[in-house]
Amino acid sequence: MFGFGYGEGFPDHSIASVEPAGEGRILIRTSAADVGQGVQTVAVQIASEVLKLDPEHFEIVEGDTHTTQNAGSSSATRQTYFTGHAVKEAAEDLLGNIYHYASQEFTTNHPEMGTRDGRIFSHVNSDDEMTIWELKDRLANRGIELKGRGTFFPRTYKPDPETGQSEKVYVGYSYHTQVVEVVVDTVTGQVTVEKAYSAIDAGKAINPAGVEGQVEGGTAQGLGMALMEEQIIEEGRTLNPDMSRYLVPTAVDVPEVETVIVENEDTDGPFGAKGIGEPAMIATAPAIINAIYDAIGVRFYQLPVTPEKIKAALEQN
Amino acid sequence: MKITFTINNEERSLEVSSHQRLLDIIRKDLGLTAAKEGCGKGECGACTVLFNGEPVASCLVLAPQADGAEILTVEGLLSREGELHPLQQAFLDAGAVQCGFCIPGSIMTGYRLLQDNPEPEREEVCQALAGNICRCTGYQKIVDAIQLAARRMQAGGDSS
Repeated sequence: MFGFGYGEGFPDHSIASVEPAGEGRILIRTSAADVGQGVQTVAVQIASEVLKLDPEHFEIVEGDTHTTQNAGSSSATRQTYFTGHAVKEAAEDLLGNIYHYASQEFTTNHPEMGTRDGRIFSHVNSDDEMTIWELKDRLANRGIELKGRGTFFPRTYKPDPETGQSEKVYVGYSYHTQVVEVVVDTVTGQVTVEKAYSAIDAGKAINPAGVEGQVEGGTAQGLGMALMEEQIIEEGRTLNPDMSRYLVPTAVDVPEVETVIVENEDTDGPFGAKGIGEPAMIATAPAIINAIYDAIGVRFYQLPVTPEKIKAALEQN
Repeated sequence: MKITFTINNEERSLEVSSHQRLLDIIRKDLGLTAAKEGCGKGECGACTVLFNGEPVASCLVLAPQADGAEILTVEGLLSREGELHPLQQAFLDAGAVQCGFCIPGSIMTGYRLLQDNPEPEREEVCQALAGNICRCTGYQKIVDAIQLAARRMQAGGDSS
C-alpha cells in the first residue's frame, strides 16, 4: 500500500487552464513537469475525452511562471491525480463556456446542443453549427476570451502531534502486489530473477501502456535495490560514484514483467485514476527477498543481497 | 588540427583541438543533439554512435581520431524524405520511450544488432543492450521495440 500526494497536512494542489488557440489547436497550460512518466500524455487524453476532440489537436504549454500556474512537483506520485484532476476541471469549464456562449449564438438550450470533433451543433436546427474556433473569434469581437480554468485543492489533514494519527494522512492510496520467480546459484551466490507478475491498482488506467512502463521500470529499480545497488561511503566520501562500481540493472538483469491492471476507482481521481509511479517499485525488493528465502531458507535483513552475502550465509548454515 | 570525416553520409571538415571528444564535436560543433552525455566515461551508453560501422561510446573517442572515419548517429537513420527509420517508429509504437535519454544510444545499438542478426531472440537483444543503461523503462519495451522493428524490416525486406 502506498499513500500518494505530499500527505501529512502539507498544502497540495494543481491549477490548469485549457483554451482554443489558432484554427484546430487547443492549448493546455500546466506547469506539471513531464520527466518521462507521461503526465503530459495523460493531460491531453483527459482534455481530449472531456471535449470529444482527437488528441492531435492539443498542445501543452509547459512550466513557465509567466504563462502557467502552479501544479506542484512531479514527485510523491501525485501528477496524474492532481494535474489530471485540474485539467479535467479546466476542460469541463471550457466545455461549460462553449455551451453557454454557443447557446446564446444559437438561441437554444444546453440539452438541445452537442459538440464533437471541434464542432458545436444544435440538435433542433441543423443550420446552427460552428466550430470551437469560430465561436472563439466571435467572442473575441465582443471582448470575451473563451477558455476554461481548473483547480484541485483537496483537503489535507495534519497528523495529531501526540499520536501521529490523522483522519486521512494521504489524499489517496494505491496497492501493488508482485510475485517473482528467482533462481539462486548456490555455487556463485548469483540470484537471477526470471519472471515477475504484477497486479497494480491504478484506480483507472488513463494510459495502460504508460502504467505497464512504470511497473516495468519500477521492477528494474526494485531489483537493483534488492540485489545490486549499494552506495559505499567511507569518511564522508562515496567510494563508488560511477556506473561501473555502483551497479544498476541492465537489460540482462531484468525479468519480463507481466502486468495486470486493477481498476478500483478513486472518488477524487480524474475518471477514478490513482497515482502509480512509486507504488510500481515498492513490492519488488520484498518479493525478491522472500523468494530467496523460499529457495535457500535464509532470511536477509540488509539490502542489497549480493552474491558475497548469499555465499557467506550458505557457508554458515 | 583540421579533420575530415563522414557523418550521416555527409562529408564534413572541422578545426578541432586535441582534447575535444567526438561527442563534443557531434553535439556542439555540428548541432546533432541526439547522442547524449550521460556519465561522460563510457559506462552508460547514452552517447553510442556507429564509428566505422561499430558502436562506440563517443565520449571516449578523441576528436582527432575521427579523421577519415565514417560516423552514423540517429539523425542519419531518417530517410531522405525525413521518414522515421523502422527502429525509430517501433520505439514509438512499442511505448519504449519514457524520459528518452538513453533512447538514441539504444537505437544505435539495436541498429547494429539487426545488421548482423535480423531476427534476434529476446536474450540476444538483451545481451546487445547490456551496455545501454536505462533507469526508467525496465528495458522490456525497448527489447519489444527492437524485435518489432526486426519483424517489420523482415516483412518489408528493408535491411538498411
